[in-house]
Amino acid sequence: MNAQQTNTAHTPVAQTVIVVGVSKVFNVGKPSEVSALTDINLTIEPGEFISLIGPSGCGKSTLLRLIANLIEPTEGAVSVNGKTAAQARVDQDYGMAFQQSGLFDWRTVQKNIELPLELKGWDKSRRAARAQEMLELVKLPEFARHMPWQLSGGMQQRVAIARALSAHPQLLLMDEPFGALDEMTREHMQAELLQICDVTETTVVFVTHSIPEAVYLSDRVVVMSPRPGRITEIIDIDLGRDRDQDTREDDTFYSSITVVREALRRVEDGTAGVRPRSGIDDR
Amino acid sequence: MTQRGIQRVVLFAIALFVGALIWELYKVVGPEDGGSIFGWQLIPKSNDRAMPHTWDIVDRLGQPESAALDEPIWRTILGYSWYTFRLALVGLVAGVIIGTSIAVLAARYSIAERAIMPWVVMSQTVPLIALAPQVVSWSGKFELFGWEWQRWMSVSLLAAFLSFFPIAVGTLRGLKSAPPAALELMDSYAASWWRTLVKLRFPAAIPHIVPAAKLAATLSVVGVIVSEVSTGVTGGIGRAVISYQQTASGDPTKPYAAVLGAAVLGLGLYGLVVLADVFLMRNRPQEADA
Repeated sequence: MNAQQTNTAHTPVAQTVIVVGVSKVFNVGKPSEVSALTDINLTIEPGEFISLIGPSGCGKSTLLRLIANLIEPTEGAVSVNGKTAAQARVDQDYGMAFQQSGLFDWRTVQKNIELPLELKGWDKSRRAARAQEMLELVKLPEFARHMPWQLSGGMQQRVAIARALSAHPQLLLMDEPFGALDEMTREHMQAELLQICDVTETTVVFVTHSIPEAVYLSDRVVVMSPRPGRITEIIDIDLGRDRDQDTREDDTFYSSITVVREALRRVEDGTAGVRPRSGIDDR
Repeated sequence: MTQRGIQRVVLFAIALFVGALIWELYKVVGPEDGGSIFGWQLIPKSNDRAMPHTWDIVDRLGQPESAALDEPIWRTILGYSWYTFRLALVGLVAGVIIGTSIAVLAARYSIAERAIMPWVVMSQTVPLIALAPQVVSWSGKFELFGWEWQRWMSVSLLAAFLSFFPIAVGTLRGLKSAPPAALELMDSYAASWWRTLVKLRFPAAIPHIVPAAKLAATLSVVGVIVSEVSTGVTGGIGRAVISYQQTASGDPTKPYAAVLGAAVLGLGLYGLVVLADVFLMRNRPQEADA
């Protein structure tokens, strides 16, 4: 706790996320004890798009949950927007989106988007206005009164993004949000997500196991290795900020994919014999 | 009414008809004075005293309860049913409140779950008839919020004793059925346990609560009738079944008229739960369910 406070004092609001010396051990002291993350250091600048990639078991989702303060680190400290992660969660400084859209079946699309605002105590008309604004942002303005189960998977995921952004957080945490979508919808959603983040100037931490997805979306790709989870490389993606569907044909796009793939191969070599297959999606 | 609704009504009518058909068929083929298998009287008597014709039962509904009355017996029985229905409704509501409270407590504190749930299960092994005289004897012995404890309250309480059980078990399962991702989402909003209960766990539990409430509704009716019978509370259908039974030798269709009344009241309470179900689930994805 002390380390966290000192850390905050030294770094004002400049960085969105600062992870210092973080380790996470689950089931401490039990036979099932497992070390999920070891000595993680990561700083994320405002407006950055960061992807976490690595084989299953590398702790990328755990790292995301540590930033979200859904779990506490065993060692080290996490700060978000210059506050402790715990305070940032209470202040709803970030929005979250998961692989399953996690929309509530019994609420209309609009009411789903309003959920975080309800919990913040906003009044009805203010909530409705914001929900409409968010629906326009994700290009679903005429679906306010639909029920989630009446929408396609891609549309549901857009609603989930609208919900995550409805309180206008500066940080968006996404855990394989497009993992369940088909390839075409997925590419479309990626392009749309970039546009949304551009408009809203949102910082994004994005967990994925798809190399092209990570490269297409990110300013930096964080490569992680399993057992125990740690960061092996951080790769800058030099595609500029104006990315569209043509970017996927770009030479830099391909060369970046190669760089990330090779980094992941090195991860595999390091643990060769432990895990013959990586679970990395090469699409 | 939806097509599915019409279908259900037609199916219900067919089921009634088939039931009557089997009854009459048995009267044709079954032995007049029944029969025994290995010395046990297992084969029902099919004579008109034990099993009157269905049309005689229907016809009896139009006759007065006794020669001294003008009113056809169906209206008298409806009055008894209405009395029992109200007691059963109070019992059901009390059962829902008690059952839900237990479920919420158990979902909130796992220690409460381990402490209470065994008692909840054990409570159902106590025969209602053993409890009934005790509880009914409370009447006039104490006051609750300035109201003197009445006999009918005891009867409703006994009904609640049966009906709270499925509600407690079903609601607890429902409260625990919220998907982990949704719970994590509420956590990410730093929502308190109670707000998570109201916004997420309860709505997610409705599909589990409704079938439990259907069971509770029928149990509540059973509870009221059994309590009426075993404690001699008058005015309800339970007492009517007993007193009509005493004149059955001379008027064999009369007890059946009362049984029909009990069935109608059971269906009525069940229907209320179905209406609540339709209302609560109106915006949910449609699933096949009974």
